[in-house]
Amino acid sequence: MKKINYFLAALMGLSFSFASAQTPKGSVLIKNATVLTVTKGTLENSDVLVQDGIIKKVGQNLSAPSGVETIDATGKYLIPGIIDAHSHVALDVVNEATAPIVAEVRMRDVVNPFEVGIYRALAGGVTISHAMHGSANVVGGQNVTLKHRWGAEDPAGIIMQDAPRTIKFALGENPTRVHGRGRGIQPRTRMGVEAILRNGFNEALQYKKAWEEYNAAASQKGNTTLAPEYDERLQTLVDILDGKIIIHCHSYRADEIYMLINVARDFGITKLVFQHTNEGFKVAPEIAEYTMGASVFADWWAYKFEVYYSTAFNAAILQKNGAITSINSDSAELIRHLYHEAAKTQRYGGMTDDEALSMITINPAKQLGISDKVGSIEVGKQADLVIFEGHPLSVYAVPQQTYVDGIKYFDIKEDADDQRLRVSPTEMVEPIYMTQEDHRCLQDVELSFSDISKSLFNTNY
Amino acid sequence: MKKTLLKASVLGLLLTGLIVNNSLWAQSDPSGKKRVTSQYAITNATVFTAPGKAGTKATVLIKDGVIQGVGASLNLPKEAQVIAGDSLFIYPGFITGGTDAGITRPADPERPQDFDSSKPGDEFAGITPWRSATDQFSGAASQVEDLRKAGFTIAQIVPDGGMIAGKSAIVLLGSEYSTNVLKSNTALAASFRGARGMYPGTAVGVMAKFRDIYQNTKLTQKNSGLFQSTSGVSRPEVTPTYDAMMEVIDGQIPVMYTATSELEVRRALALQKELGFKLILTGLDDYATVVDVIKAANVPVLISLEVPDDKAIKAQKDDASESAKAQYSRVKEAYENALKQAALLEDAGVAFGFTTVGVKAGDVMKAINTMIENGLSEDAALAALTTNTASILGISRIAGTIEKGKLANMVISTDSLFAEDSQIKHVVVDGYIFDYETKAKKKKGSSDVSATGDVKVAGTWDYTSETPAGSSGGVLEIVKDGSDYTGSITLDDPSGSGKIKSDIKDVSLEGKTLSFKFDVAAGGMNLTVSVSGEVEGESFDGTMSVAQFGSFPFKATLNPTLIATK
Repeated sequence: MKKINYFLAALMGLSFSFASAQTPKGSVLIKNATVLTVTKGTLENSDVLVQDGIIKKVGQNLSAPSGVETIDATGKYLIPGIIDAHSHVALDVVNEATAPIVAEVRMRDVVNPFEVGIYRALAGGVTISHAMHGSANVVGGQNVTLKHRWGAEDPAGIIMQDAPRTIKFALGENPTRVHGRGRGIQPRTRMGVEAILRNGFNEALQYKKAWEEYNAAASQKGNTTLAPEYDERLQTLVDILDGKIIIHCHSYRADEIYMLINVARDFGITKLVFQHTNEGFKVAPEIAEYTMGASVFADWWAYKFEVYYSTAFNAAILQKNGAITSINSDSAELIRHLYHEAAKTQRYGGMTDDEALSMITINPAKQLGISDKVGSIEVGKQADLVIFEGHPLSVYAVPQQTYVDGIKYFDIKEDADDQRLRVSPTEMVEPIYMTQEDHRCLQDVELSFSDISKSLFNTNY
Repeated sequence: MKKTLLKASVLGLLLTGLIVNNSLWAQSDPSGKKRVTSQYAITNATVFTAPGKAGTKATVLIKDGVIQGVGASLNLPKEAQVIAGDSLFIYPGFITGGTDAGITRPADPERPQDFDSSKPGDEFAGITPWRSATDQFSGAASQVEDLRKAGFTIAQIVPDGGMIAGKSAIVLLGSEYSTNVLKSNTALAASFRGARGMYPGTAVGVMAKFRDIYQNTKLTQKNSGLFQSTSGVSRPEVTPTYDAMMEVIDGQIPVMYTATSELEVRRALALQKELGFKLILTGLDDYATVVDVIKAANVPVLISLEVPDDKAIKAQKDDASESAKAQYSRVKEAYENALKQAALLEDAGVAFGFTTVGVKAGDVMKAINTMIENGLSEDAALAALTTNTASILGISRIAGTIEKGKLANMVISTDSLFAEDSQIKHVVVDGYIFDYETKAKKKKGSSDVSATGDVKVAGTWDYTSETPAGSSGGVLEIVKDGSDYTGSITLDDPSGSGKIKSDIKDVSLEGKTLSFKFDVAAGGMNLTVSVSGEVEGESFDGTMSVAQFGSFPFKATLNPTLIATK
């Protein structure tokens, strides 16, 4: 395999660098585009030079160093790679739903780099997704931030290794249904959810103390202290308390959002992002002051009781109150057109282009702790880029090419009918499901989805 | 734990009983079961002493389960029973890595009233490293007999269970009067299988729990060390799980991880890299794309003998659309690659063995021949059946080849092993000789056609079958439909009383051999039962086999028809 790679690299004018086997990095010069940097305004007729996966220059009349391919993007738009702060793409398992706290579980263990959803996301301009644990547990597993390096064989090859750790929390109906109603254990109510959190963190503090005492004693001569039990579940909670992990909390109602803000304040936790947050507009100033913001749907609600009090103005209200706000997909389908989802904030809330685009680029980057590396077109950042035909916030927008680390992983001109990396030898046509996966973030949404598919494919009007 | 100890002592008593019996026979044997001799000479056979060695005409002399000599000019003691091997081919006895033959899963313990599915006890959660496959194994099971009939002489038996099922053992498939245990405690059987409805319920939870157990075993060992060496130390808590895991963290025994797919292979390797245990990968089904990864990891592998079925290939239609045809070609390519996998491992220089989990013993040779047709060399196939597995299991000193001093384990066939129509006539295990019926080679040509013409199978048959559950029977109806056959079979309802009727499928009649299949839903599983045998006049004598459950006798007689044939 390696030999073939080197051979290809030589053929393609050495524009690929295989210095690191896991994360190939490319060089390219994109010319004459309308560059929507998101953080530094819009640059007409400008060029972006990428070398070894990093944006080296942004300006006009740039020339390509020898061996670097030039792409003419005249009349096209260039934006930073879209980042989806809530997804379950490329995961073989989503929920370890069996205990109220499963902080020890790591989604990076079950990454599946062959899932065609990655390619579909690239076709929608999404270069980074936050592959999350499900919402069955008050404290779910540790999520993993993926870079969509389609074609990588090793799961480690699509993991963004320089992203900080994040973890899934969940409030409200899902954890109370799964554990309280489903298994007859705490939490049965929202009060129980809070108790699980406070007890968990208090236990974590005791665990931390036990190990600190043991480590101090063990280094002494004549030590008679036994090592405490190892518990990665509690250790992970300790890491949250120590600020090493960003919480991403599934939440809908204002009361539960405010509850978690208070719990976080009591335990000195500041790295906290709310997910879904449909009633976030009611507590927007509090979210802005005490957290890293909210990641919301553009206009999706009423799929269960706790999601009825919702508005499409949610994102705009949060943004105007100074909360870091992102728009996410939580869906293998929405991930393919997040730019349209972002554009809805212009219809409902009058966001500017930069505000709307930041909700799918720099803002989710901030919430994932990677905004120093990605999320905008700036010199020194990783070259995750998308070339659009049409303005990305227009209904006519169509992504043309998608780059991750300067390497092109999607090109609409090279888009084959069958882009799967793996094919089963025993299945004739792999089944296509229009229903949501069973990750319980969107309980009972199957019904509405199948209704959508009915109206999409069996149109009688 | 107490129960386990009790079981062990009961087993011990039983074994003692057997040994006493044996010594009684030494004086007198009213049962007539005692062997006349334990010395045999198989003379003038074509002997293949090891994979890669050419067959040479030689005599093999064995005594008391040990090979005494191999050669052309051996002095044969007069006590030796001579088996004329002139037309026979002798190979080293086959060895299977992980097998579930003869293994019965122990019953789940009863859940206490206050059972909490979020923190179940280890035994509930499938974490039972203290269990031994020997406690779950019965050498008398029909799957064991099937395995021996297919040429296997040594098996690594693997306990059935959850994420950490217990310790595997190596047994001979030998005399019914021996425990046949070669080595107990050879590897820890582990998988990514979650516990049902409790923690850890999924592969991601299993991986986290495995780390937890591993680290805590290390700490327990450390704490126990401190307790032993220093006074004034509190008693450390040693659970059965941590106690049984000590050998794993010390590297005394490997973890045998069931990893069927390429991603599971990568996950097991990632865990090994992180924690540092010795590893054997087993049950590999889909690994063409990780051959180089396996090679680089230098980890022993036992590949599955399940060959992918060709239903998807056969279902391809000529009149499909262009885009469907493009998809067909990818399925075909995937199928062909799957058949080539074993050859790819050989090309990469990986000395793999086989596991027989999930495959019928009778299909083993067919699967291996498919691998050979797709590029695997016969030498590598034989090595996977003998020396490679011996080496993976750490028994190369005593097994794997035909050499003086090694265990008397051999496969004796009527033709060179992988030849078409080659049949196994004897299997020698631990010096015991098991004889199998061989049939004359099928005649080919025009006489065959007329033979088919003579064989009548259409009609109503009364059948009986013998299974461990007892004898049962019913009506088999075969209808001629053009040149094909269809029909139905009635059988005892597995989920209660009464009879159910099931359609038979894949009915084929070749010469006198009639075979067909039918599906039965039992205990939430859908089982496919295959029946195959010979028609002789109005009687049918065959076997009925179900994957993983073994094969059983199946006999039927054709009822006289009351309708005059035209």
